Amino acid sequence: MKRAIQIVVALALVGLAVWGWTALHPSTETIIRSRLNDLAKTLSFKSGSGALAQAYNAQKAAEFFTQDVEVDVNLTGFEPISIQGRDEVMGIAMKSRSHLTSLKVEFPDMNVTVDPGGQSAKVNLTGKAIVPGERDISAQEFNFKLKKVDGKWLIYQIETVRTLSFLAADAGICRI
Amino acid sequence: MNTMEPAAPAPAARFPGWLRIAVIGRNPKRTAIRALVLAVFCFVFFKFFIFKFIVLPVRIEGYSMFPTYHDWGINFVYRLSYRHSQPQRGDVVGIRMAGPSVMLMKRIVGMPGETVAFEHGRLIVNGEEMPEPYLKHHSPAPFMRPVKLGPDEYYVIGDNRMNSDQGRIDRDRIVGRVVL
Repeated sequence: MKRAIQIVVALALVGLAVWGWTALHPSTETIIRSRLNDLAKTLSFKSGSGALAQAYNAQKAAEFFTQDVEVDVNLTGFEPISIQGRDEVMGIAMKSRSHLTSLKVEFPDMNVTVDPGGQSAKVNLTGKAIVPGERDISAQEFNFKLKKVDGKWLIYQIETVRTLSFLAADAGICRI
Repeated sequence: MNTMEPAAPAPAARFPGWLRIAVIGRNPKRTAIRALVLAVFCFVFFKFFIFKFIVLPVRIEGYSMFPTYHDWGINFVYRLSYRHSQPQRGDVVGIRMAGPSVMLMKRIVGMPGETVAFEHGRLIVNGEEMPEPYLKHHSPAPFMRPVKLGPDEYYVIGDNRMNSDQGRIDRDRIVGRVVL
């Protein structure tokens, strides 16, 4: 019995040491995941948040992007659009906030691929937007490209991914 | 002469002894601990193993598969269904986005290498009309010019042809078959 307790305690200590080591020395993937989760939190807002708080959050969200960030949106049924620059991205984010009372953004699945040099990375993720009080969720797959600038991982390109590769124009679909 | 109503039996005495032993055991405290351990084990086993690697519980949102599957219904995606076989035409499958947390639920109508088209709602595969017995209502949509699928591509669409996205998907996007 005493031996069993010793083994359990030893295993617990090893587990604690491993957890402590990974917490103190996170991998690049973990850092990027954590950063994108922070971005999701920053993009989310609750009803009743004042204009000042919204402006602060928008400013905070801007810190996740490079100055020359490029966003390419290509959704089925819509004309592809391209947004250039951090200011334009933030302007659109602020405008969309004014149409919603609250929003919860999540990135539930993230596939992080760090380039061999360790200075840039590509993340394939699902973005999920939930408007509290409404049942429906909006989900879209994205590819984010990030690079390390002054020790911080910043997003420099975002593009939407079509999960179903259907080209309405090519296939000539019409819905009645 | 005073008559007295017989006192109600104590709760424990209402059940025969063997039933008590069968239900709560000879030592109720030990049985409670065992039940608690079993409950925790079952929770962990189902949450972190069964519902992660074997069957994924999914909640349907939207009307893309209506009336076969209803909005807000709960279903399961069996992840091992295509471990030893390939997806077949007519199968309803879960299609992952970046991962399995958010999936699209669609029906396979086109197999790898086939040419798929829709004419006034009728499915045409390699130039021949394909019966679709799973459809409860025939709709005049969609219309689609022939699309040639690649060697690893499937064509999927929802049963609610008037209100469903459709398109080609690679095999590796199919998480599993929708069951139950």
